[in-house]
Parts: sequence; structure tokens; C-alpha cells
Amino acid sequence: MKVKLSISDWLGERLRLEDLPKTPRYMYRVSYWTGALVAAAFTLTVITGLLLLLYYNPSSPYDQTTYLIAQVPYGAVLLYTHLYAAYAMIFLIFIHMYRNYMSGAYKKPRELLWVIGLVMLAAVLATAFVGYSLVGDVLSVNAVDVAKGMIAVAPGGAQLSNVIFGNGTQISLFTRMLGWHVALVALVAMLFGFHFFLAERYGIMPSMRSKPRAPATYTKDESRGFQPWWPRNFVYMASVVLMTWGLLFALPNAMALINNLPSVISPMPAPSPTSPQAVNITPYPPWFFLFFYKIADFQNLGGAPYTPLEVIAVAAMIPLAYLVLLPFLDRSRELNPFSKQRRLFTWLFASMIIILVELSVWGFLAPGIPVSFTTQVALLLPPVAICGTAVFLIESGSTRRSIVTRPRGIISLLVLAMLLTGTLGGMIQYPTVYTVGVVLSVMFVLLAYVRRSGVPPADGYGEDQSGGNRRANRVRLAEWLAAALLILSFAVAAALWEIPSTGALEPYFGVGLGAVFLMLGEVISLYHYVSMHSYGRDGIRN
Amino acid sequence: MRLLKDGEDYFLSYAEGVGPIDENRRRFLKGLVLGVSVAAVASAIPALKFFSAPSIGGASFPKMLLVNANGNAVEASGIQVNSEIITLFSYPLSNEINFLLNLGDASNTPVEIAPYTVSVPLTGASYSFPGGVGPHKSIVSYSAICQHLGCQPPELHFYPPARMKLGMPPPSQLTQAVLTMAQKDNIPACIYCACHGSMYDPYHGGSVARSPTQRPLPAVVLEWDPATDYLYAIDEVGVPVYGHSATLSGGTLLSGNATVKATSNPFPQ
Repeated sequence: MKVKLSISDWLGERLRLEDLPKTPRYMYRVSYWTGALVAAAFTLTVITGLLLLLYYNPSSPYDQTTYLIAQVPYGAVLLYTHLYAAYAMIFLIFIHMYRNYMSGAYKKPRELLWVIGLVMLAAVLATAFVGYSLVGDVLSVNAVDVAKGMIAVAPGGAQLSNVIFGNGTQISLFTRMLGWHVALVALVAMLFGFHFFLAERYGIMPSMRSKPRAPATYTKDESRGFQPWWPRNFVYMASVVLMTWGLLFALPNAMALINNLPSVISPMPAPSPTSPQAVNITPYPPWFFLFFYKIADFQNLGGAPYTPLEVIAVAAMIPLAYLVLLPFLDRSRELNPFSKQRRLFTWLFASMIIILVELSVWGFLAPGIPVSFTTQVALLLPPVAICGTAVFLIESGSTRRSIVTRPRGIISLLVLAMLLTGTLGGMIQYPTVYTVGVVLSVMFVLLAYVRRSGVPPADGYGEDQSGGNRRANRVRLAEWLAAALLILSFAVAAALWEIPSTGALEPYFGVGLGAVFLMLGEVISLYHYVSMHSYGRDGIRN
Repeated sequence: MRLLKDGEDYFLSYAEGVGPIDENRRRFLKGLVLGVSVAAVASAIPALKFFSAPSIGGASFPKMLLVNANGNAVEASGIQVNSEIITLFSYPLSNEINFLLNLGDASNTPVEIAPYTVSVPLTGASYSFPGGVGPHKSIVSYSAICQHLGCQPPELHFYPPARMKLGMPPPSQLTQAVLTMAQKDNIPACIYCACHGSMYDPYHGGSVARSPTQRPLPAVVLEWDPATDYLYAIDEVGVPVYGHSATLSGGTLLSGNATVKATSNPFPQ
């Protein structure tokens, strides 16, 4: 026992764990870890991608993909996990961006951090495009053709197309796609290093309660009272990463067991471009490019379709330019998203996100159908108007009061909840782009309202506030649960050794492996729970 | 809200090193965490199979007719005795090349190659080589990949009796030591590898005549049809072909005809 202690002491000293940045207690909530979730998904994508590299063959990519799925042991598990880890990464990037936009994290001193993040977003989307082109199925071939067409009209397009896609032969195309895929990931990794370094330099974004105005950083004195990084931060991180990985193994492999999923979400590749089935495939892009795909259907006021350059401008360049310039447009020191100084920007971004989702749904429901200018306005304007009205009506008082203490609050909440229920019902009955937009905007309004005026002061987050007896029971329950997970995890591990490494049962391995990772993440978080609550609130406070 | 907070509880709470701690309880929990970690590692172990590329090859040796570059069957009586030209065909996998030799004595008269028990110096095991085929029982075929470190023609090739001499440029440079050894063992011709000096005896099943090789050359079993004078490759005996875990594994299995190619003459003209 003594030897073991001294080893961990030795390691801790050599790794200088004590010098690592201290962390405030309130940061142990998922909303403070959106960047870590992205990083967890990124890491898993890189690991699985490097493994898949062992089998890629640019001279016959589609045959090699089917070979990987059918013949290589656990090849399908890794391929599906790679795809979904990349999907999760993109989804989580948007969550991360939304959260940092709304909390004003792009303001002084974090402007550069924000801009680098946007460059990473662009690089990640480019990597994703190249990545799904690598499969060589009918969708990837279509996507490459579309991209070639768009690039061709740009000035110097022919040369650019040659640089990106090669000289027109299949081997040149796929060798380049593979090269670009790896190179772009390397770029993302380098930018991530810089992004992370800067984030650590500025320190954690303080809660809006403690620092309501920019520049929002903690002084040395203030951070002295924080908890040391080791072990709580590490343990929490392990739990977050393992649960993310577990989900990313379990989910796509479970989906692979379901037949006939739409190709936008199916983990399996579409048919080969030369097969007869390819004719029946709707040429969808992956879900994160559906908005782009729909904007390509748009017509301008005169009824003429957008030119490729207009599509690129509307779908990518203008929003990206706005976001890059944002720290220099929104120059107030106010962080509160509903303050007079910021609510215009809050409204703009809420609208952007809602339109993004709307367009994606639209692209899925009505691919390739031209949209007149009046239809665009009719479908996209109402949600934007709803958001705008709400953002400008919600009180921007600096103190939060509980909704339930005010009659007006209760009535507003009831009205909003009923509105949401009604529109949600409407959307389920008539799933159209319009209803999706309205539901999203009403949902935004409700959340904004509750967040703005409903939540009680967030102090001591994460501690069980219930009475001693109840808490003791919960702790005991957590301990029993942890013990049960140990037994269960060994049972699953034993079963995994019996699952064939190829064939129809192979995805069960991915599901099981994911389950074990989830159990490990869960047992670690139960460990936190128990170690914290066994000693009571006061014990922790001192 | 209540539910949300309860959910968050799970994630959050941890406070090691603060307040009085029930050591036994914590050790028990740490043990549980360690146990599930072990289960997670154990679960991932089968996935290591991903690293080994699925093996390719064949289950059994095909019977293949030897044909020349024009696609016509090779006639056994037409094969030149003691030819200087490196003559190769692939069998049974596309990446396994073999010499086709019609052995003779110093005056280029075909020599009957008798069955022979070949020993493997590395393991001490032995196997039987079935001997030559053709009208004079003088035609044999050996793997053209050196069993020492995998050198291939032109570094590894056949030296007919007339070329067992000094003074030839690479890749046909022989040393006095090699010639002395061949003389002592009474080998009129040899298969010699210029890379590291391994020598094989083609008259005795490709057995090791000089180290550093510790394994003889595997031999392709040929069948001669006296009615047509055609030759067939039907089997292979000896150690696995160099670089393969088994002669039938690690390459694309061939079928149909085996094309015999006269590649080059390594000797000075």
C-alpha cells in the first residue's frame, strides 16, 4: 500500500499535476464541456480513421469498402463508428458554437479563439466532404460531381478543380481525396492545439452571475479558491470521454442492424455508381450539407435559379463572414444575450440556427424542387419574426426572479407551454418545413424565457440538496449500481468474445463494446457521486 | 428541472481529498472502477483481429498446363538442356515464381533426376522430392525465391556446367570457394544466389549445398503426359515458399494455364 502511494505521488510530482489550472466547482456540468465533447468525438474519429487507413485502396474504393465491411474482422464496426464519430463531431461543434455565441464568449479577450474556431469549422466540413467522397458509392460520386460543377464556374476554376480532384482519372481522384482527408485532419488537429492552448490561457469562461461583463476572466486571486485539476477534473473528463465513445460505438452499430434506413443517416454505404440499384437512389448529401443542397434550389426575385456563386455566397460565405466579424461588430461589454446591446445579435444567431435546421429538413423532404422567392419568405420569415418578437420582449433585468413568484410569469409560461404543445402536435400531424420552423422558434422562446427568468441561482450545482436520510439511501443505491455494473460489464465482455468478427452479427460487437464503455463512464461518475455525497455538503464546503 | 439536476448529480460530484473520508468505502469503489476498466480492455481485445489482413490464397493446389508466351503448350522434349536463359513460371500463387530446368551433364546430355529425400538443415526434418519428369526424367522445377532472405532472379539463378567458372561479372560472379565446394560435392551445375552466396543442388531436389541458407528450395511437382508431351504443374513439396506462411497462402491463387517466360540471360555473351 505504501509503495503504491509513493508511485502515484512520484507520478503526480513529475507530471506537475499541482501546477495545472484550477477549476471552479460550477463547471462540472455538461454545458461547460461542449468543447471537450467535440474533442472526444474528434479523438475517436482520428483513432478509427488511422485504423481504416490500413485498408483503404484508391484504385477500387467501393469494392474495398464492401470488402472492409464483409471480410475484414470488425471492419464494419470501425467504419460505422468512424462515420458517426464524425457526425457527432459536426453536431457537437454547432452546439459548442451556439453555447459560446449566446454566452458572449467571443468577446474580449477571446476574439481570436472564436475566429480560430470558425476556421476549424470550415476545415472540419471540408474534411467531412472529402471523407464521404472516399467511400466511392453513388452518393460520393454525385457529391464530387456537384462540387466540381460549383468550382468550375469560379475564376480559375479549372485549375482549382485539378488541384482538388486530380486529372480526371479515378485513381487520381481517390488518391487525392485520401491525401486531402488526412492533410485536412492534420490541419484541424494543429488548429485544435492552438484553440485549446488559447482557451487555457484565458481560463474558463466565468459564469454570467460572477462576471456579467467582458472581459470575463478570473484573476489569480479569484482562482485561488478553485479546486485543483487533479483528480476531479480528470475523473470527470474520463467519464465524459468514455460515455461519448460508448455512445458512438453503440449507436451506429445498432443502426446498422436496422434495414432500409434513409441514406442521410444510414451508417452503411449506398450502392455502387455502376450498379443497377444506383438509379433508385435519391442523390442526397449527408445531413450536414442538406441546407446547402436546398439553397441550390432557390430562385431569386426574378424567378431565375441562383448561380453556383450565389449559392456559395448565401450558404457559406455570408454567414461565415458575419460570424468572423462578430467580435468586432458586437463590441459592447455586455454578456447577457437579452441585454439591449446584445439582443440584435442573439436574434440573428437564433434565426440562423432555425433557418439552418429548416433548410436541412426542407432539403430532405423536397430534394431538388425549385423554390420561388415568395415561398422562401413565407417559410423562413415567420420563425425569424417569432424569435425577434420574443428576444425584444423578454425582460433583460439583471436579477433573476423565479417565474412562480409572479402571476405574470406563470401566465406567460403557461401560454408558451401551450403554444409549444400545440405547434408540436401540429408538426407531428403535418410534418412540413413550415411547422418545423415554427416549433423550433417557439421552443427557443420558451427556453430563452425560462433561462432568463426562471432558473434559481446556480450555486453549488451538482450537490444533492435532499435531506440526510434520502441522500444516504441514494449513495447506497449508487454503490449497489456500481457493483451491478461490474458484474454486467464482465458478462458483456465475455459475450463479446463469442461474437463473430465478420458477417451479419458483427455490429453486435460494436453495440456491446459501446455498452461496456458506457458502463465504465457511468461507474466513474457514480464514484464521484458517492465520494462527494458520503460526507455531506458541509464536509465539502470547508 | 428537478430531473435535470438529479441527472447532473451523477456527473458532477467529486471531492477527493476534502473532508473526512471513509477509506474502506472508497477503496471498494475504486476497485469497482478498476474492475470495469479491466472488462473494457478485455472487450476490446478481440478487435485486435482487425490488424491482421484477411488471408488470401487457396485451399488446394490447382493442376495447370505449362504454356509458352504464345499460349501453346510447352513440349517437354523441346526444352533446351542446361539453358542459360532464366525461365520462369508462377505457381500456385501469382507472386510465387519457379524455375523450369532441363538438367544435363557437362556435355549437355539430359541427366535422369532420381527421387531424393531432402533434409531441411534448419529443422532437421526431411521430405521426399519425386524426381525429374519428361522423356529423360530430367525436367525439374524449383521456387525461384531464395530461402535465405528472399532474393529473386537475376540474383538467384541456374549456372549450367559450362558456366561453373570464375571471372564473370555480376549477377553471375562466382568465387573460388563456391567452385571448390561444388567440385567437392560433385555438383556439375548449381542454383546460386549472388546476394549472400547460398547454393542449391538442382540434381538433388534443390537441397542446400552451401549456407547461409538453412532451407532447401521448394520444388514444384510436375506431371508429364507421354501421349502429348505436355507438362503440368500439380503440386509443390518442401518448406513454404519464402515470405509465405504456407505455399498456398499470401497471394492470388492462379488457375487455367501457367505461362512459362524466358526472361533474360544473366551470363556475359
